[in-house]
Amino acid sequence: MARRLAPLVLCLVVLTGASAATLEDRVVEHHLANGLTLLLMERHQAPIVAVNLTYKVGGVHEHNGITGVAHLYEHMAFKGSRTIGVTDAAKEKPVLEELDRLAEAITAEKARGAAADRTRLAALHKQFANVEATADGFVVAAELTMLYQRHGGVGINATTGKDLTRYFLSFPANRLPLWAAVESDRMANGVLREFYKEKNVVLEERRQRTDNSPSGRLHEAFASAAFRAHPYGLPVIGWPSDLDALSRAQTEAFFQTYYGPANAVLAIVGDLNPKDVIALVEQTFGRIPARPPSPPVLTTEPPSAGERRVEVEYAAEPQVLIGFHKPGSGHPDDEVFDVIESLLSDGRTSRLHKRLVQEKQLAGAVSASSDYPGTLYPNLFIVGATPRAPHTAAEVEQAVYAELDRLKQEPVAPRELEKILNQIDAGQVRSLRSNGGMASRLAYFQAINGDWRETFKRRDRLAKIGPEDIRRVAARYFTKSNRVVATLVKPPKSEVESKP
Amino acid sequence: MTAARSLLAALALVVTVSAGFAQTAPPGDPRTMTFDPVTFTVPEVERVVLANGIIVYLLPDRELPLVTVSALVRAGSIYEPADKVGLAGLTGTVMRTGGTARLTGDQIDEELEFLAANIAMGIGVESGAATLDILKKDLPRGLAIFADMLRAPAFEPAKVELARRQALEAIRRRPDNPAGIAAREFRKLLFGADHPLGRESTTDTVSRITRDDLAAFHRQFFVPNQLMLGVTGDFEKPAMLEALRKAFGDWTPQPVALPALPAVTAGAGASRSVNILRRDLSQTHLRIGHLSVKEDDPDYFALALLEDILGGNSFTSRLFRDVRSRQGLAYSVGSRIVPGNAGPGFFVMQALTKGPSTHQALASMLDHMERLRQEPVSPEELQLAKDAFLNSFVFSFADASLIVGRLMSLEYHGLPKDFLQRFRDGVVKLTREDLLRVARAHLHPDRVVILAVGKDDDFEQPLTTFGKITVLTLKPGG
Repeated sequence: MARRLAPLVLCLVVLTGASAATLEDRVVEHHLANGLTLLLMERHQAPIVAVNLTYKVGGVHEHNGITGVAHLYEHMAFKGSRTIGVTDAAKEKPVLEELDRLAEAITAEKARGAAADRTRLAALHKQFANVEATADGFVVAAELTMLYQRHGGVGINATTGKDLTRYFLSFPANRLPLWAAVESDRMANGVLREFYKEKNVVLEERRQRTDNSPSGRLHEAFASAAFRAHPYGLPVIGWPSDLDALSRAQTEAFFQTYYGPANAVLAIVGDLNPKDVIALVEQTFGRIPARPPSPPVLTTEPPSAGERRVEVEYAAEPQVLIGFHKPGSGHPDDEVFDVIESLLSDGRTSRLHKRLVQEKQLAGAVSASSDYPGTLYPNLFIVGATPRAPHTAAEVEQAVYAELDRLKQEPVAPRELEKILNQIDAGQVRSLRSNGGMASRLAYFQAINGDWRETFKRRDRLAKIGPEDIRRVAARYFTKSNRVVATLVKPPKSEVESKP
Repeated sequence: MTAARSLLAALALVVTVSAGFAQTAPPGDPRTMTFDPVTFTVPEVERVVLANGIIVYLLPDRELPLVTVSALVRAGSIYEPADKVGLAGLTGTVMRTGGTARLTGDQIDEELEFLAANIAMGIGVESGAATLDILKKDLPRGLAIFADMLRAPAFEPAKVELARRQALEAIRRRPDNPAGIAAREFRKLLFGADHPLGRESTTDTVSRITRDDLAAFHRQFFVPNQLMLGVTGDFEKPAMLEALRKAFGDWTPQPVALPALPAVTAGAGASRSVNILRRDLSQTHLRIGHLSVKEDDPDYFALALLEDILGGNSFTSRLFRDVRSRQGLAYSVGSRIVPGNAGPGFFVMQALTKGPSTHQALASMLDHMERLRQEPVSPEELQLAKDAFLNSFVFSFADASLIVGRLMSLEYHGLPKDFLQRFRDGVVKLTREDLLRVARAHLHPDRVVILAVGKDDDFEQPLTTFGKITVLTLKPGG
């Protein structure tokens, strides 16, 4: 249930020539009538399989008021269904509904602010606690994950990002029928139980990842500054007040809207027989009715009129994040940024590492990412760095700009581009080492690009990107007025001293 | 139990099965589904000792055109001098970055990255490790560089200085990461701030380290008779052995005197210690634990299974179900048993919870620890823990590098090569009474070290109910 803070960074990969055909030939694609896409790859090294179920839903489908709902649902997906995780769902239902009514009354009373009736609130909370205890009586704790673990499931987890929510595990190959029964059941019949407690768990997750983490705070403020209209600016973990107020009905509605089978890509890699698995998936997931298409994300980020800068005060060593607005997936310039990312920050010989860490020794660490904070929609190319004392964030920032300017002025040497292609090709070979890595990759490209073959096609397009493309894109996008900068700075002295 | 025994039988017969699924009817109740035992073949790994003492493990796996060579060497921060803590780590870093007799560090980086090859190198607490991961076609070149790095690192002064500055910057940034603070302070409390297993580098110790120290540390510990190599991937054994002899064969063995590890006295207290390290955080990092068994202890496997039930298994452990799901007090909560090798091991429970629920979370965790000593685990819990362990056992053999890596690690620590099989056989036989006995023998809630990193003003109740409080402080540069 870890939430992905950084954008999903996949190395782009591929095999050349004949071996690419071999790898492509090993993937079996199957579409269910209800819209679910199934991708299978046989790999018989050990009697195990990796499963990756990716839904095209994430933080990008939220708005202020319901921030955090995609991630909270992901947590709830482990609570079971009408049959799993409960002793008697029919008796449980009215109790959960009573709990909802009390929660609504509490939210409404709290919304009155200073005028809120404290005595009434206390009474409501007491009543709530009593009903919650009754609801607990129906819970069979962790039954869903217990079934997976009992049968040897490992790496059971899920992540919620801006664009995608992903559920995954590895399993002994002969137990797939159990997995299919449990997983298709939660896709069709999930019940949001232990809902209000799980909000507290998520608030703890927020304290851990954001509130008490210097970089977590900086990233949240940075994304907010960069996106004023588009939901990429909202935190996936949610604003605390939204999490507090989120209702079970809102969460259920979100599930009904975005968790239809047509929004799901299921990839299974390992010791399997495609014919058997297709039959199994048809028997289980195939019974789930199709749902209407989920609504598109309509808000687009208006062009920014000038540089945006934010400071985050926190008692920690400095950090800086620099971003440039750029197009998202599908735009030809998007892939040029992928090459620039590699040039600037992949490995010890990459330009930013070499210049800032090794030569000038201004930074402890520096890295770039070409799809921040999501991939599908227009997003940011970012560079993040930690200055090395006594150097300042301002010095680091200037050194980063100098490297970006070099991209505008000097053509990139052919050997540098060849190195990147070599890395991409070897990365493709290495990706086959793990069932889980391959399942993740296939599902990812299918969900983001609409075609798992993009993992191969993309390589050939990247191979055609030349020095002039890089120069043109750098000159167009790496400008001051297109820039967003966030720095982590220490609070004024007096405040620091007052802290223990 | 029966299923587990037949699993053993199947293992002995070395059967592989990849049959179709039995179910074709509508999905049944997953709670009543049954399956054949998970059966698999454990491949034979060849072990060869070269004339100069290098132990080589070989396991070809021809699926992909890649080769991985892993090295394990008897070095570690437990062997560095007390006034130069950080020396082992720096040595490992600069062996990788500081060039060799033949090439500069920058030339090596250029060449490796152009070949899309990776070499990683590092020296930890009890061992040094290095890995070469390379396309088969480039193996001769990669192996030559890898051998030079292990045998004749140049320790270029500029790279030594860069590594030192980076280490100092990392020390400066330690206070920014509460989880890191909790981990280091807890180790100090358990093993002692001056003990090789507990101490940490400081601005002082790192500043004192010179290039000569790195070269001497390398000379002392990187000798062929202290080295193991594990090779997996796409190769023929005879050709690989010849390549290894060419790369490492003329390396002369040297006797090595390994400094003895002092006894641990700090964490072996007769009563509880409660420690608070004050930080301005909205969430408290809690660690509760004490020293524990070595890996070769006959009770280790029973303790490991007990610990799965307490907090090791995510989602289904007692701590997860109660402290997280039922009480909503934490996102991260669990426990671990880390068996000792050079020194004692330790047992730890940890949780991150908001300041105002610190006392409640701590009390709950201690109760769970105590309960394991008071009453046997339920038959269902024991069965679940056994099933989870046995049915997932196949993942310990999922690929060649895992298998070889484990054999190297077992030999390094002087454990039998069938350690994991014995461990499993032990788990199969465990009873509830065994776990109760082991809990009483090895879990001591009355003697735990408690550490809370957070803002104690926010705690709903002072932690004095758990014992006398010691307030710890972070030293600048420490």
